[in-house]
Amino acid sequence: MFPQFLKGIRFADLTWAGAGPFSTKLFSDFGAEIIKVESGSRVDPVRAGGPFKDGVAGINRSGYFASRNTGKKSLAMNLKSQKSRDILYDIIRTSDVVSNNFGPGAMERLGLGYDMVKSIKPDIIYLSMPMYGEDGPLASLLGVGMTISAVTGLMWQTGYQGEGPIGPGTHFPDHAANPYHAAFAIMAALRHRRATGRGLKIDLSQVESTINCMGLPFLEYAITGQERERMGNRSPFHAPHNIFACQGDDDWCAIAVQTDQQWQALCRVTGLTELANDLALADAGGRLRQVDRIEQALTVWTRQHDAKEVMARLQAEGVPAGMVMNSRHLMDNDEQLRHRGYWQTLDHPEIGESQFTSPPFLLDGERVNLRRPPLLGEHSEDLLQQLLGYSAEQVQALRQEGVLE
Amino acid sequence: MSTHPIRPYTGIRIIDLTRELGSYATRLFADLGAEVIRVESKQGRGDRQNPPTVAGLDSHQFGGVPYAFLNTNKKSLTLDLASAAGKTVLSDLIARAQIVVYEAGGQTDVALADILAVPGARIVTSVSYFGLTGPYSHFVGTDLIAQSLGGIAWLSGEPDKPPLQLAGQQSVFVTSLYAAAATAIALWDYEATGHGHVIDVSAQEAIAHSLQNAIQVYDLEKRISSRGGEGVRDATEAAFACKDGYVFLAAPLALPASWNGIIQWMTEEGFDGVARLHEPEWAQRATRCTAAMRSEFKLLFERFIVNKTKQEMRENALKRKLVMAPVSKLADLQDDPQLVYRQYFQQVGMPGLDHPVAFPGAPYRLSEPLWQIDRAAPELGQDNDAVLAGLEQSQRAAGGQG
Repeated sequence: MFPQFLKGIRFADLTWAGAGPFSTKLFSDFGAEIIKVESGSRVDPVRAGGPFKDGVAGINRSGYFASRNTGKKSLAMNLKSQKSRDILYDIIRTSDVVSNNFGPGAMERLGLGYDMVKSIKPDIIYLSMPMYGEDGPLASLLGVGMTISAVTGLMWQTGYQGEGPIGPGTHFPDHAANPYHAAFAIMAALRHRRATGRGLKIDLSQVESTINCMGLPFLEYAITGQERERMGNRSPFHAPHNIFACQGDDDWCAIAVQTDQQWQALCRVTGLTELANDLALADAGGRLRQVDRIEQALTVWTRQHDAKEVMARLQAEGVPAGMVMNSRHLMDNDEQLRHRGYWQTLDHPEIGESQFTSPPFLLDGERVNLRRPPLLGEHSEDLLQQLLGYSAEQVQALRQEGVLE
Repeated sequence: MSTHPIRPYTGIRIIDLTRELGSYATRLFADLGAEVIRVESKQGRGDRQNPPTVAGLDSHQFGGVPYAFLNTNKKSLTLDLASAAGKTVLSDLIARAQIVVYEAGGQTDVALADILAVPGARIVTSVSYFGLTGPYSHFVGTDLIAQSLGGIAWLSGEPDKPPLQLAGQQSVFVTSLYAAAATAIALWDYEATGHGHVIDVSAQEAIAHSLQNAIQVYDLEKRISSRGGEGVRDATEAAFACKDGYVFLAAPLALPASWNGIIQWMTEEGFDGVARLHEPEWAQRATRCTAAMRSEFKLLFERFIVNKTKQEMRENALKRKLVMAPVSKLADLQDDPQLVYRQYFQQVGMPGLDHPVAFPGAPYRLSEPLWQIDRAAPELGQDNDAVLAGLEQSQRAAGGQG
């Protein structure tokens, strides 16, 4: 289905790169009109980064960009020119939301600071999402998603036991914590405006947002005064709880026993009767004390079996187990995702057909269908003529002057 | 109670039947004024016992640490859910709610079918590890299992070691955030059209949706992104040991100011390693991603910073416009000068503890004070009288119709 739940809501969307566009994409997937204000001379870095169809670079060929910008409209302008600013002001007058994820001060330099925008559209909802917030002694510190992992405790806590911090292998906070806290805040602001007539400014510090996602270990530290050491894939509360090597060079299965019944079931499936009968291992405390012994015995078994088989046999007996999926496993082999129709194929003028992840839920039993991402500047002329009432001649002139890119 | 009569979710009632994956979703609504009612059996729902529990505190009554974090601003109502009378009260509550958030699997004492059978339109959001349908729908999940089957564990860690889980139960947060955003959007439609919706959120899908560009790398270029960033991540992008801890640096060629700033800094200090960084291999993106260059840079850079503190590193990052920051421990966060300046942490009084505890503050700042923690996570049955009295009153107002 193509839900139109947010039809009639318009964004003047200046977000770029990862976290910002992933947030506004949710709104376009539900029928809002997201006008992606871009620049051809200062291209969204995700358009310029890969991966590209067949490895051939091109600003309209990036799969990364495509995945973050489904269903949006692209207006490409030279944002430094006064005329483009005037066009943008006209668009903002008809918009509900202005969104950006630039560093502090950048919007002001573009003439798009909150006070300016509010003066032309008093009930605007204005989202900023700089890394460390808009003001304060570190507000100007530069960062990427991994920097956010670093300063929030996520990187410190993520790593192998007895070794240094590693952190997530991706710019993790960009891909969940920050875009969806932002989306939730925008929906709240839309409701607030509906109830009160007033807009809101949303200052989402990506660090502050991400620390909430470290809330469980943080609160434990705050209550106890003790910070746990890195544990790799182990758990301080349960055992066995780890990722085990299976048959093959780089094949793995996670096993996470949570209850004593699951422990007994695990021993049955793996034939580890000696461990099953050892009363010292009957509860979690005992198993944690002898975790090395248990993991060694289990590894002997998992090494002899295919990861998928390990998962299937353990799950059949109610033991939490899951093979460690890579992108090929997920796309080519995962029966669950295939069964639920998770992958969508969209056609695109330059990329051709490619695969997209669906929003991660079924809505009334169906998938939310996506619309393809825009080419750079694909909708510039339509927007100017149809939304703002410019004539074809005016648009032509703006293009010749280099205002439209 | 709230000092602001109209908050974004004032007047919205949510019946909360979550245990772990969905509890943060309902908390997000509760923090903005929704009435979120945890309906629990008389013994309390199992999530109160999720570890760690707090020494000296009865977790049955007060809950442990995860419970305390995930259930601020909520109410607790206990019902005998096995009895007909208890089921009737639950149905009556659901009939007066705009949203039900339900967590499938585990020791669920309420069936989804019974929720869906309650007359009237509303949003019913189901949160589960693998979704309500499909061959894994009966699998038992945990955070580690979701991180594995969703694909994020594969991408983290080092190439010659196992894939690595992310700390902090991240699948809980990723899943809840998608669930909350989707529920908010569905509620917007419900209020406009009167149409109810059922949302079936899968933690596996939520994780697989958040893999940076790994899906597209495989789909378009048939390469499998793997842990350690071998062939992908620049030699400079890692955590490096300094005098009193670690710093994270990113200075790939794609961030020229950061790379040039590092070179400049080394030159100013007369560091002998800088000559090596002027050699041609360091000017090529591809060679900089190899394992050999990564190890070489680590040795070189750690030699440069061995006597520099995290604070000196951060000062230089600010001054020189480097993409570099300390790798903070949880213990460092309350002293982070930015977070101190912004008064980020909130002191929350917790029942059973004789002192307030620092909680992470708002995940976003609104220009009006609409987000707030009014009260700590509820004790078991804390709101029985108030919720049942409110229900009775609304039934009387509706002319005695149940």
